[in-house]
Amino acid sequence: MQNVIERILNLLAFLLTVDRPVSADEIRMTVAGYDQSNDEAFRRMFERDKDLLRQLGIPLELKPTDAWEVEHGYVVPADEYALGDPGLDDEERAALWLAAQVVRIGGQAAGPDALFKLGGAPVGGAVEPLAADLGAESETLGDVFLAVSERRLVHFGYRESRRTVAPFGLVHRRGHWYLVGPEREDIEHIKVFRLDRARDLSLGEDADAFERPPDFRASDAIPQAPWEAGADDVVADVVFDADLAWWARRQLTGRVEAKVGADGELRASIPVANRDAFIAWMLSFDDKAEIVGPPDLRAALVESVMDSQ
Amino acid sequence: MSSPKTARRLTRLLSMLPWVIANPGATVDEVCGRFDYTPRQLAADLNLVFVCGLPGYGPGDLMVAYIDDDEVVVEMADYFSSAVRLSAPEALTLLAAGMAVMSSGQAPEALKSGVSKLQRLLLPESEEALVVDLAEPELVGTLRGAAADGQVVRIVHRALASDTTTERDIEPWTVFSTMGNWYVSAHCRLAADERVFRVDRIQDAELTEDTFDPPAEPPPPVVSYSPGVDDVTATLRLGPAAQWITDYYPVDKLSTEDGSTVVRFSASDPRVVARLLLRLGSAAELIEGEEVAAAAADLKQRILARYNV
Repeated sequence: MQNVIERILNLLAFLLTVDRPVSADEIRMTVAGYDQSNDEAFRRMFERDKDLLRQLGIPLELKPTDAWEVEHGYVVPADEYALGDPGLDDEERAALWLAAQVVRIGGQAAGPDALFKLGGAPVGGAVEPLAADLGAESETLGDVFLAVSERRLVHFGYRESRRTVAPFGLVHRRGHWYLVGPEREDIEHIKVFRLDRARDLSLGEDADAFERPPDFRASDAIPQAPWEAGADDVVADVVFDADLAWWARRQLTGRVEAKVGADGELRASIPVANRDAFIAWMLSFDDKAEIVGPPDLRAALVESVMDSQ
Repeated sequence: MSSPKTARRLTRLLSMLPWVIANPGATVDEVCGRFDYTPRQLAADLNLVFVCGLPGYGPGDLMVAYIDDDEVVVEMADYFSSAVRLSAPEALTLLAAGMAVMSSGQAPEALKSGVSKLQRLLLPESEEALVVDLAEPELVGTLRGAAADGQVVRIVHRALASDTTTERDIEPWTVFSTMGNWYVSAHCRLAADERVFRVDRIQDAELTEDTFDPPAEPPPPVVSYSPGVDDVTATLRLGPAAQWITDYYPVDKLSTEDGSTVVRFSASDPRVVARLLLRLGSAAELIEGEEVAAAAADLKQRILARYNV
């Protein structure tokens, strides 16, 4: 391992200071650690080292060495290599470190690498007793986050068709990750895609491929309750029996008006944007809740129950 | 491919160097605490740095790195004065972890300011583009406090599947969130066994005077459904409008034809499948499962009675 680390340090020191594209041959002749190997051994060693640099998040680009683009050489652009300084103080680093210990993504806790890069975390402080797993595969998530931050288009398969979406935002809510943004063909209409259903996801090559509206807020795009997402527009009057009123109240969002009646029953007027999702939710109360109106919504629930065998 | 161990060591090394360069006079203890080094590991890394540098590799070209008395000295290494930028997954994991803790309402000020500095660095013109929403049900705080203090809690719990309410004394071990729901794992004195309860299904929780000794190693906080011996099974044909079921529930797909899928469904209580059948209406058909058929018929009758049909 020592040899690899020395070689990488020498290679990086060279590439970060040379300020021009350098060919693999020049690297072999110049940088300590590559010099004693034969052609094939050098090629394999250099390929491995390039992989390692990518693993570390170090950008290595191939650029023409002359105006005629006959030869190409390697560059580590200093501005892309360096982490901008967020200006964190030690207390903030420690707080981020603790947060990273108690929150997982898809079962994976954040390793210390990110915090090391930000200047390390001074040890100490009790770990907060919050343990949360945000689900989802982190590799796709990382790609989507990159697309959101660099404003690259995202291509993926979703419900039988291929989509190209401008990723305005990324949201975790109710256990799922959602990609929020319009499809390229229909830029006015912001849509929501569940990431765990996106297949074969890839990123567009160009950064800054779209404009995000200045007033865009990703949190507004994702409803709090499943029946709030959709194109329907009705207000349901419902009643929940007393012994399940607490359970109903817990699931209603702030926008709902609800009153407790004489027998402890809960009466509520609930804005519904997705009738199917709403009926499904009402049925989860068995016969302890009822849609009072409007009549067509009430009839739709009855119909669904009648149609089941 | 180089080993992950090499990558980790390089990342730490390339993070430690900029910090030491920016903080001359840092002590061995400080650097070790911050970057999780043992003094021996730190000395080994500094020794590697000492033999690396720029082509020529003479005294004026190599970096200078050593421990002087108790002080860590790094010189002639200005090209390593910035840390490597965060990879997209690293950036996302760190930000999402911080935002998750914040949304649960227990974040210290330092975390809020740390997250906001990171947001400005990583999502410069789109601070509203990433949202992590991990709202806590009201009883999470009570249960978490009881788990920390070893206090027995009396809960009123509603089992959704069987629609039964029980009062139980539990010894709460861990409170955690996964896939959008909060859970408490506990020793349940009523069941005289280990149980995991969904927190939003707990109607009421009251601290008792009783205390308990938590287990030395509480089981890992996970929720998984595995079919039990008492489970009921049913075979369903899902029409095109009910295909989403296969994404949401752990079913075995038996066959597929003409856009419909035949699945085997296991559940701890027949009412779980019965409710689903009612909600799906004509989109699904029960092929086999006596207990489910009976539960569905009962539920159907009760709901239609409520709706005066």
